[in-house]
Amino acid sequence: MDVLEKIEKTEAIGKDFLIWLWFRSETRNGILDIGDDLHVDILIDGKMTLENDETRDTVTYSGNNPLMKEARLALLENKKITKSAIKLIINEDDEYTFRLDSTWMNFRLFKTPRVIQDFKDDPEGLFYEKAGLIEKAITIMDSVFMYFIRLRISPEWERDELPALITWIKSGKNI
Amino acid sequence: MTRKPPFSNIPDTWINGQFLYINLNGGIMGLLRGSASFSRYFVNGIPPENYLDEYTNNITRYCFRGFDESSDAERSIGWVSVMNIFDAAFEQRQFHMHPYLSLSFRVDTRSVPGNALKQHCLEAEHKIKIMERLDYIPKERRKELKDFTLNQLIKRAIPRTNTYDMIWNVETSMLIFGSTANRICDEFTELFYKTFDLKLFPVFPYSIAAMNLEREGIDTGALDSIRTFNFTGDTDGRP
Repeated sequence: MDVLEKIEKTEAIGKDFLIWLWFRSETRNGILDIGDDLHVDILIDGKMTLENDETRDTVTYSGNNPLMKEARLALLENKKITKSAIKLIINEDDEYTFRLDSTWMNFRLFKTPRVIQDFKDDPEGLFYEKAGLIEKAITIMDSVFMYFIRLRISPEWERDELPALITWIKSGKNI
Repeated sequence: MTRKPPFSNIPDTWINGQFLYINLNGGIMGLLRGSASFSRYFVNGIPPENYLDEYTNNITRYCFRGFDESSDAERSIGWVSVMNIFDAAFEQRQFHMHPYLSLSFRVDTRSVPGNALKQHCLEAEHKIKIMERLDYIPKERRKELKDFTLNQLIKRAIPRTNTYDMIWNVETSMLIFGSTANRICDEFTELFYKTFDLKLFPVFPYSIAAMNLEREGIDTGALDSIRTFNFTGDTDGRP
């Protein structure tokens, strides 16, 4: 099976991850405990693109509505999230913003916290600082993703997580 | 001596008597400045023991050279320094910042606007008709004339420059590339293979999950059985 075929066959993993991430960020104030003494806040904040699996129709919401009511209603129509704006805050201080896509887990419009080094004074220093910040965000998002995967393949998913997730989705019509 | 145009206040955009259009959003050190979009790869294999010597030669071999004066190519690609897009020399091995190898993939494109090409073709056809006292130019000759005109015009076109940074952590084999566009990513992976003789494996949700589970000694078969759920409460494909 080539890469593109594998991606197509397993695309549900990325889409389900983005929905779960939104569910967790809404129901647990965005706080995730992924170990390593890291305090990670994740907020689904801003533009979101959803797709109908059958028709492949996509719809993008601006995210201006704080409750994202339209996007929540789209979930009820069985639309899946393909791109989502995310705010990642590490240890209540370092704030990253980016858009994550479900197919490749590519980071778009990625912004790191403000850097200390200056390109003119120390270009290499800036390089190390930026590379470190980028790697940190990727490592943390991969840890969050693996937290989801471990949960997704465990009996706990069917028993606790999925029913809670479905209840949350259904509550979207009441907001 | 060619003078630098007064409207250019960006010092390095006037090179060898040619004004270059630099797409700053593209960008110069795009990954390292402002906001950026990037894709991720896993480098399949490890560099050889004396990789710095070998890679310096290969990077120089595939460095950005721009358009040759006689060339009618529309696209020119190659490696430049991540710190300075006009530096393609690499004598100081400035691509090596342990544990990273970092380069910029520079893509210069030039094109002739359709309207301009049409106008110049009509003008050329008109001249030939007068000179050779023709009422009509055959289709085949018109095509030759169009190719010739395009060839002449493209050499006068101003190249548009974009750069896409690559940060390769040699210790973890993870690579970040500053573009998510399919064509650019394909060209980049091809040049990377030519330069480093290592294949890039794209990162996507399944591959991240499988790689991590394998590291932990967990069977990845469970991943293949994941089916999406619909929100009416049933999981598709649930046994």
